[in-house]
Amino acid sequence: MSADSDMEYSDNDGDEYDYYGEIDDCDMETVDQSKTDPEYFLFSCLRVEEVEKLLNESIELLSNNLQITPSLAKVILHAYEWNAQEIINRYKENANEVLIFSRVKPCVPTAPGTSTRTHCAVCANMPPLQSFSALTCGHSFCNDCWSMHFEVQIMQGVSNTIQCMAQECEVRAPEDFVLSHVTKPSLRERYQQFMFKDHVKSHPQLRFCPGPNCQWIFRAWVRQGPRRVECKGCELLTCFSCGAPHHAPTDCATIRLWLTKCADDSETVNYISANTKDCPKCQICIEKNGGCNHMQCGSCRHDFCWVCLGDWKCHGSEYYECSRYKEDPNLASDSQHAQAREALKKYLHYYERWENHARSLKLEEQTLASLKSRINQKVMAGEGTWIDWQYLWDSAKLLKRCRYTLQYTYPFAYYMDNGPRKELFEYQQAQLEAEIENLSWKVERAETTDRGDLENQMDIAEKRRTTLLKDFLDIHINNASSSKI
Amino acid sequence: MANIAAKRIKREIIEVVKGEEGVLKLELVNNAWTDLLGEIAGPPDTPYEGGLFKLEIKIPETYPFNPPKVRFITKVWHPNVSSVTGAICLDILKDQWAAALTLRTVLLSIQALLASAEPNDPQDAVVARQYIENEPLFELTARHWTNVYANGPTVVWEFNQKVQTLLEMGVDEHNARVALSTYNWDVEGATEQIFS
Repeated sequence: MSADSDMEYSDNDGDEYDYYGEIDDCDMETVDQSKTDPEYFLFSCLRVEEVEKLLNESIELLSNNLQITPSLAKVILHAYEWNAQEIINRYKENANEVLIFSRVKPCVPTAPGTSTRTHCAVCANMPPLQSFSALTCGHSFCNDCWSMHFEVQIMQGVSNTIQCMAQECEVRAPEDFVLSHVTKPSLRERYQQFMFKDHVKSHPQLRFCPGPNCQWIFRAWVRQGPRRVECKGCELLTCFSCGAPHHAPTDCATIRLWLTKCADDSETVNYISANTKDCPKCQICIEKNGGCNHMQCGSCRHDFCWVCLGDWKCHGSEYYECSRYKEDPNLASDSQHAQAREALKKYLHYYERWENHARSLKLEEQTLASLKSRINQKVMAGEGTWIDWQYLWDSAKLLKRCRYTLQYTYPFAYYMDNGPRKELFEYQQAQLEAEIENLSWKVERAETTDRGDLENQMDIAEKRRTTLLKDFLDIHINNASSSKI
Repeated sequence: MANIAAKRIKREIIEVVKGEEGVLKLELVNNAWTDLLGEIAGPPDTPYEGGLFKLEIKIPETYPFNPPKVRFITKVWHPNVSSVTGAICLDILKDQWAAALTLRTVLLSIQALLASAEPNDPQDAVVARQYIENEPLFELTARHWTNVYANGPTVVWEFNQKVQTLLEMGVDEHNARVALSTYNWDVEGATEQIFS
């Protein structure tokens, strides 16, 4: 969407729009962003070519320093997570250790004469001597077998970690050795693509944008705690540390727990909550599988009404009243079923809100799109320029940002222990939620409300958001590191 | 590629036949070089001693660059073998496969696996739990299975009787044995599970 939005802003170019977007928070003051924005995180968003250049610099540095081929440098860098300086230092101390650790050399030297060069141990053929080749381990196989081996491995998506064909030999085949045996252009290309992906994945400073078909790559220097990075291409917000969607104030381990829980349980939970209730007498879980609301518990034979859970005997003519709904919920609350249902209720409480905000966020996208066309119409009709209506656009962007944070407060609260901190958190969460709903209301009616009023509301909502993040994001990171003492 | 596979298999059958172990067998099931039947003898001083275990071996088209698919046909009570499907959890049949490995080494490795179980990396969680919690009972159960399914020499009368009890209730023999083995030969527990 960024491409066409740039188009629509023919009055001012894309950069300028960004400039306005940034400035509305700090209201013309030049403030250090790292202080005002609790989520501030230094990163860059790179193109594939830029990353290739970056990787090549490390490769060149290492191959020049150690006087080795670039292919070998790649194998070593991959093993040492691209820390070229560390490799150079260690190499000076003990070159052999570095080569063995990165599996350039075998840990035990192959005894000479173990691989006879009369026949190839893989295909059992007896090709001429000159069509044998071997890695540093000395295990000789015929070139046809090597190319078959590489073809099979590349087709399975293996690239950097292709190994020698000998039993229990872990020596890795460097790029030049592989390419000298692979002739098919499509296969060579595939291999090099996999190599690049593997290099980015093994590099601690790099991460692919997880957006579908997105080609951008993030670069940053810290991989701990929730770290917001925004893609230049698809605008997706990602956590640099773990690769999940950005999730402040929730930390990486918790969001993983939450997302798996939702993936595992949400369908089951939906079914259970929609189709089952506990028997009011014996608390056993009952599934409703027919239309009739007169239920008989299969376990204790208690007759009751599905709608109100009251005794069926009282339902004669006055069935539709079902006035007995306010039943004591503490009945036998220590039973296992009741506890399970209580846990389910708690989860559902958070899950429903989480889901609801996710849906609202999608609707907010639509608001954003329709707002853009409305502004365009105004500009075309001569009612001011884009600059005059910029505040509307900013308000919708801000609303989106606030709602995003709000969505991710729910998993945080779900896993929080009860106590004053949770009370404080939920208080702030409720405040944020209230201001966001106010803002949402005003944004939808933005053209008819007062601009000052709207901007005031924007300011309040953003303040609530940053306050919550300041209080819980930072402390949370500190807690995460100190609570393990 | 299938070419290499066929050539290799021919050699490998000869290698096994020539081999002096006398405890391995390898033969073709059809003429296509893709399906083989293996047989290994239970290693001495294990509950599998004296038994003969048949294995199904399927050769992929990309053999030997990909590993063969091997599973037990004979039912085995072992933590790293599924008591239901005969699937084997063995590293050289997965990521530790090397093109230079042969079916002879595979059969020998499976034989070695029978001698040294790895309950912490189980294929069959039920068997593994029994192995860890009650090893003598595990051994006796494995011996009983070897006797019944692999012609092993040790007859466990007590277990046979318990199976017979369930048979009289109309339960299928193998199902009865699985249920009893799973419930540590507690007839009540096994019956409950079968009829629940």
